[in-house]
This record gives sequence, structure tokens and C-alpha cells, in this order.
Amino acid sequence: MLRVLLDGLVARVRSYGRALRHPSKVESDMAEEFHHHLELRTRDLVEGGLSREEAARRARLDFGHIATHREEALASRGLTFLDQLRFSRLDVKLGLRMLAKYPGLSLVSVIGMTVAIAVAAGAFVVADTMLNSTVPLPEGERLVALQNLDIEEGEDDPHAVHDFVQWREELRSVEDLTAFATESRNLVMPDGGTDLVAVARITASGFRVARVPPLLGRPLVDADDRPGAEPVVVIGYDEWQRRFDGDPGVIGRQLRLGTVAHTIVGVMPEDYRFPVNHAFWIPLELEPTRYERGTGPAISMFGRLASGVTLDQARAELATLGSRASAAWPDTHANLRAEVLPYTQPFSGINTPAARLNFHAIRLAVGLLLVLVAVNVSILVYARTATRLGEIAIRTALGASRRRVVLQLFVEAVMLSGLAAVLGIAITGFALGRLNTLMTGPSEPFWIEYRLTAQVVLYVIGLALLAGVIVGVLPALKVTGRHVQARLQQITARGSEIQLGRTWTAMIVLQVAIAVAVLPYAVYTAAASLQHGTAPEAFPADEIVRAFVSVEGGDAGSEETRLIGATRELLNRLEAETDIAGVTVTRGFPGYERSARLEVEDGTTISIQYNDFGVDLLPLFGVGMLAGRGFEPADAGEGSTAVIIDETLARAMGGSLETVLGRRVRLAAENIDDTQPPWLEVIGVVPNFTTTEGVDPDPDPLMYRPLALEHAMTGSGSVQIIARLHARADAPMAGRFRQIAASIDPTLQVTDTRTAASIRQEARQVHRYLGIGLSAVTLSVLLLSAAGIYAMMSFTVARRRREIGIRAALGAGARQVLTGIFARAAAQLGAGVLAGLAVALLLNQLAGGMLSSRLLVLLPTVAAIIMTVGLLAALGPARKGLAVQPTEALRGD
Amino acid sequence: MSENADLMPGTLDLLVLQAVSLGELHGYGVLLRIEQISGGALAIQQGTLYPALYRLEHQGLIESRWGTSDNNRRAKFYSITAAGRRRRGEEVAGWNRLVAAMSAALAAQPEEV
Repeated sequence: MLRVLLDGLVARVRSYGRALRHPSKVESDMAEEFHHHLELRTRDLVEGGLSREEAARRARLDFGHIATHREEALASRGLTFLDQLRFSRLDVKLGLRMLAKYPGLSLVSVIGMTVAIAVAAGAFVVADTMLNSTVPLPEGERLVALQNLDIEEGEDDPHAVHDFVQWREELRSVEDLTAFATESRNLVMPDGGTDLVAVARITASGFRVARVPPLLGRPLVDADDRPGAEPVVVIGYDEWQRRFDGDPGVIGRQLRLGTVAHTIVGVMPEDYRFPVNHAFWIPLELEPTRYERGTGPAISMFGRLASGVTLDQARAELATLGSRASAAWPDTHANLRAEVLPYTQPFSGINTPAARLNFHAIRLAVGLLLVLVAVNVSILVYARTATRLGEIAIRTALGASRRRVVLQLFVEAVMLSGLAAVLGIAITGFALGRLNTLMTGPSEPFWIEYRLTAQVVLYVIGLALLAGVIVGVLPALKVTGRHVQARLQQITARGSEIQLGRTWTAMIVLQVAIAVAVLPYAVYTAAASLQHGTAPEAFPADEIVRAFVSVEGGDAGSEETRLIGATRELLNRLEAETDIAGVTVTRGFPGYERSARLEVEDGTTISIQYNDFGVDLLPLFGVGMLAGRGFEPADAGEGSTAVIIDETLARAMGGSLETVLGRRVRLAAENIDDTQPPWLEVIGVVPNFTTTEGVDPDPDPLMYRPLALEHAMTGSGSVQIIARLHARADAPMAGRFRQIAASIDPTLQVTDTRTAASIRQEARQVHRYLGIGLSAVTLSVLLLSAAGIYAMMSFTVARRRREIGIRAALGAGARQVLTGIFARAAAQLGAGVLAGLAVALLLNQLAGGMLSSRLLVLLPTVAAIIMTVGLLAALGPARKGLAVQPTEALRGD
Repeated sequence: MSENADLMPGTLDLLVLQAVSLGELHGYGVLLRIEQISGGALAIQQGTLYPALYRLEHQGLIESRWGTSDNNRRAKFYSITAAGRRRRGEEVAGWNRLVAAMSAALAAQPEEV
């Protein structure tokens, strides 16, 4: 039985294959075979005494209807099905003709789908790269990162020196466990100048994990990690070329990093930047006895899975070690969970299952955007397809099956979506190129590069086909449905007509509702992003310079005194520079405040942003007082309670700018058990000086506290300083700042020296791109909605042209007729607007009232635009209907 | 009463298999062979033969090759496959059982019921 089935299956597959490969040959062979049969039959009849002509005629009669037998023969080979699915160049030609015949529809559809496909493809690439990238090293997929996840904080606890040493000894499933930390060092050039570089302090095992031999010399070895070993350094290829001109005798030369002269022992090959994006590698000496468990320098750990070991096995082994640690040292390890992850995961920020899920959800949501757009386009196409019923009826009468008609319409739709896919991919490629140039820097992993891959192209092809199905097949199935085919039999002189019932009305209402519900948010977000991205600065951003000051190596606790002293000296020296008007310190750069809840003495609580900065900052930024006084030196002293608030906060506290002076406020305690912070007194009110007026219609209330240099060091061991220049600097200040700092203390580092304009630029660039992207999406949705509504309304009224003509013929006045038409149109549009308003208000509630005030303006505006478009659409066909001669209207019923 | 019998549904395939099992034939030849072995009693509309031939070929019960016929024209010749022989055997057995049962039923006398 099985053999019979198999034999049959093989024969069928072979038969289909032949038919697919040589479809025209199958038909020509059949024709030849029939012809041969008729010849032989004719010959026999002639031999039987008939004349040639009579014999030929009898032969044909005896054979029967050739076309029918041909169709049956094809059907018996299962080829009719294939024949109906096959499309030819003619279908493509017809499709192109349709695109050209309705240029407006084609343009709108292609624009809408292009934007959606570009967004979906971009999201796919970003998500795929973040989730699935591996390090480009030999067997890179077997590299793993190890971390102690603090379950309460939801973050990695990097102070894991003790754990590292223990795991290195005890773990069997992970080989060559390595620890590293990235540090900034002043690279001292031969001419005395300094350059700040990122250095990887790494245990020698890191090079064994990478399995990449150096180009010159040797990598770090275990002996280099031992206490008292000679300081050595391995450098990267680009650094070797740039700083040493590619000198093959570079091995053995000295390189000064800070106060230490390192001997160059090796040069790594080009493109080697492991573990993150490094070009300098120095030994990491770890002595756990120097630190208490849970303290010590912050390190990252990685290794390679042992041969034959899976990630799950490594996880299980480390989990066991982690549990033992939690039991043995509950004070430090009770909340820690030891984890093994694929190496690249911690860098993508997707190192928990929840984060992975979020990412997939975002990717899905972005894909759904295309579905939304395609549905919109399919509504447009349905409107157009319904006008082609006469053509479809004729094709059906001539023998085209429903499948054939649907296939034709699918091909047309795929041409639209195919064009959109090509354009969308091009836009995505361009955007990804821009994204790559934005993402350069020492903390950007070197293996992350967003580019178009074969997978993305396949994904886009899939999207185009899906769009083709939604845009082409669904409307076609609706239009060629059984109930419609029954009515197709009543073709009149004017062509047959489809009944527009509840479905049509529902589609108009849905189209309008979506537009009204979604557009206000899209418009608001796009406008806000663009504004943020393009508005001029609130203060002279080119004259304000910000830098971070820190001391090299060591940890914050032991170096605070040295840092404060050195920073004080640095500030004095900078003040003495002729082009610097003044310097001060700050906790956060203005515009990047921290959130908190503020308690007012009358019991109210307000969500605010706050910052601490030196008493000179407001004058340096040119900010005048609206009420009260500014900070004085005494305000930064111990026990001071002076605070300055901005006018937004003053208004939020009620009363005028004057009446808030002297009122008491305090930051709310973070936890119930914490002691209450002290009451502070409002001494002055300033305008909001961090954002340009009008850019943020709903700015956060702001509060400022005075900051003394002694308390200015942050948790990361640095002090943020701000300098105001007399005029815009001709050259970057970074070099000068570093030079002055180095002359005070060679280990004093000045990093990330930038003008305020440069700081803002990155964020503004992101806002700009986001704004442009959102605007493109919003415009395309608006375009599609308007086109859809226009098409449907005009089609609806055009269908009633004869009715209009008849009514006019029967004596109805123009006004009466038009009122009837517009009343119906307005009712449909109005229902859609009401539905859209309800959804918009619901969305606003869900978003926490984000848009409440703006909705009052945006919603009516969008509703008015949609109603206008819809009614205008009804106007043209209505007037055409009125122009129809009554006799013409009455004829042909 | 006509001496020709109309084909019962489903029997054309069996006749084609039988004809082809006796030797390789082109389409017209199959027709003639069926007429011959049925003594001219079975009437087949000629064109209906080809859907049956293609169906049997599609099922792998017969196979074809192009050759030259006796009138020196290119012609397609059909022969039976092993699977076709097995199917023919099964169909013949089934047919014989049907004939025996029908004969017995039609020969029944009133006193036997």
C-alpha cells in the first residue's frame, strides 16, 4: 500500500515538475498528439471509402470537442490549478497599465507603503543586530559574559573581584575567565602634549580567549599581571600606524600613560578592538585581599565555554557557585544572582528575558504599522476595484476563474508593494549608514554595525508579499464573492454595479475614525521632536564649555581630597585665562536635571526637576532674577537652606512670583524609613533658562540648590566644571584645559570637554531624525487617510448619479438634492469623527492626560480637515449628477 | 436493441490499462485495440480517451515515449508500468467479483428467496 502511494506520489511530482518547467511544451505535445489521432482516423475512413473531406469531417466529429478534451486532459494532470496560479508577462503589463491609469492612487499607496516598509526594515536590522550579533573572533559565539545581577536593583553589580578570583579557580565550564576595566589615561606625547585615551586594563587570559595572535611581538602574559611586574602595554594597529608611523621596531619602545612609562610588547592586527572598542591593553592586577567582599574596583568578566559545554551547563554550574556564595556571605550576596550570558548581550542592554520580550514586541509593533498602512491602501484599492466590475464580469464570462481574477489583482498589488519595497530598502540603507556614523566612540562595541543583510531583504520581500495580499487579494475576494457573481449576471448597458451596503459605510466610518484618533498624537509628537531638534539654544551655547575633572586610577573614596584640591587650583588657573569670563561647578549640566517630588509647607507635593550648582552659574549663563536674589557665596556653606526656583515652579506653588519668596519646601524622602530632609527656603525666582521659550509648552518645574566645590564630586569620582568664555572659541578648548590640568598634577584628567552647543547637538540630532521620521509617517498616514476618504466619498456619490438625475427630472430642486447627498455624507463622516474623538480621548486617558490641553486644538482641527476633505469629495460628483440630462438618467433602467 | 454497450463509469481506465498491457501503443492504437478486444461492442467517444491516458500517466500507471508511427509521423507511445500492472490486476479481480455477484443476483429465481 505504501509502495503504491509512494509510486503515485513520485509520478505526480514528476508530472507537475515537467508541466512547470515546460508549460507551453505540454500544450504543444497535446496538440500534436490530437492532430496525429485525427490523421490516422481520417486515413482509416478514407480507406473505408469516404472522400478525404468527408473523412476529415467525420474524424473531427468522432473525436468530439477538442477544446473540451484539452481542458479535461489538463485537469486530469492537475494542471488547471497550476494554470490558474501561473501569471505571465501580460499580467505584469496589465498591472503597470493600472498603475499608470490611476497615478494618484498609485503615488499615495507607494508613499504610504514605502515609509512603513522602511520603518519595519530599519527596526528589523536594529533588533536583529542587537539581539543576535556575535563577536567576530574565532568561534565568537562561544564567548560568554559573567555577571552578578543584583535582583533588587535590576543591574549588574560590578564590584566582583572576590567572585572573579573564586570563579576563575572553580569553574570548569568556562575557560580562561578574564576580568577587565576600561579606564581613561593621559597619553603623554613625545612633544609633551597629552591625549586622552581609553585603555583596557585586562588580565592576560583575555588574549587567550580572543585567539588572535599579535601582528608584532607578544600579547600580555600571566606574568605581566603579577604585582611588581614591569609595566607593559600592547597597542592596536591604528595607534601603531598613527603614533609610530608603523615602525617595525616599535617593540621595546616606551609609552607614557599618566605618570607610568609602559614598554610596548606587542601590536595587535588591524580591526582587533576586543573586548569593546580598545586600542591599548595593559595588565590588570587583582588582589582580593586589598578589598572587602562586595567592594573594590568595578570589573567586567568574560570567558570561553569549555569544549563540548553548552551555555545551559555553564549557567547551571555558575548558579550553584552563586547559591553557595549567597549562603556563605548573605550580607553581600543575598540579592546577587550569578549569571552567564552570551558575550554581546550586556552591551545591547538586552540581558533579561523581559528586555528581550520588549524588543520582540517593538519589532512586532513596527511590523504592524505596515499592516495598518496596507489595510488603508486596500480600502483605496477596493474603491477602485469596485469600479472595474464590468471588466471583471467580462473576463469571468470569457472563462476566467475567480482564482485567475484574484491572481491578476494580486499581481497589480505586488507591483505597488514591490516598488515600495525597493524604495523602502534604499531609504533604510541610507538611514542605517547615518546611524553607523553617529555611533562611533570608545564605548560603542566594535562588532555592532547596522547593515542590510540577506535576511533583511528576505524580510522586506515577505512584507511586500503580505502587503500585496492585503492590498490585492482581500479586496479582490470581496469583489468577486459568490453573492456578487450572482448579481454580475444583470449586466446593464452602463456596466454592472456592486451593492454598497453596510460594509462600505463601515469602511468610511473606520477610515475617518482612525485618522481622527491617531493623527493628533502623531502631529504633536512629530512637531515636538522637530522643535526640540531645530530650536535655537536658550543661552549662548558656543560660549559655555563643560568638562569633567578626575584623577587617574584609584577609586573615588581615597582620592577625593586630592581631586578637590587639584580642581580648585584648576578653576583658579582657568579664571586667570583672558578669554574665560568665569568658571563654576555643577552637579548636572543645565537641562539635564534629576527628578524628585517636592513637598511644600502647605502640604502639596509637586513633581519637579532639580540641580545643584555653584553660586556663580546663573550669572555666567546670563540669567537675571525675576524676583528675590541670586545665590551668594555664603549660601553654599554648611547648613544653608537657600534655594532658587523657576517661574514654572513658582506658579505651581500658587500665588505670584513675589509671594513665593520665603516659602518653605523640601525634597520628599525617597523611602518611608528615611529621615526627612531639612526644610529649604525660596530666596529667588528665575525664568526657565535651559530650554528655548516656546519649544516645550509644558516645561517641568525646576529648583536649584547652591553647591560648594567640596561637595561637588560625583559617585563616579569626577567633578563637572563649567566655564563661560568671553566669545566663541576659535579652537576646541579641550587641549588647553588638559594642558593646564597636567601642569597642576600629571594624573589630573580633564575629559569630555565640549561646548554646550556640542552637548545639545547629539540630543538634538536624535530629536531631529525622530521628528523627520515621525513627520514622514504622519504625513503618509494623513495622505492615505485623506485619499481614502476622498475616493470612497466620491465613489459613493458617483454611484448615485443616476438617482440624482432622476430626482432632478422629477422636479427636485438642486438645493434639495444636494442637501440630501451632503446630509448622508455628513452623517457618515460625522459618525467616523465621533468614533475617532472617543478613541482619541480614551488614548489620552491611557497616556495619563499627556495631550489634554493640546487635544482641545488638535482634535477639532483634524476633524475639520477630514470633514472638509470628505464633503469636497462629495461635491464634484454631486454637481456632475445635477448636470446629467433627465432623459439620459431615465434611459437604460 | 444496440449491440454496442455504453461504457460504465470507471471502466475506461481499466480498458486502457488492459489495452496497453498487451503492447506499446499510441493513442489511436489504444482506441483500436479496445475495439478489437471487445469485439467492437464497447463504444468510446474518441476524444475522451486522452484525458484517461493523461490521468493514468499522471498517476504513474502508464508511461510514454515519443517515437515514429507507421505513417512516419512523430507519435506518443504508451506502455504499462509495474504499478499499472498491479492496479490492473486489482481492478480485474474486483471486476470479476462484481460480475459474479451480478450474475448470481440476476439468476435468482422466485423459489430461492
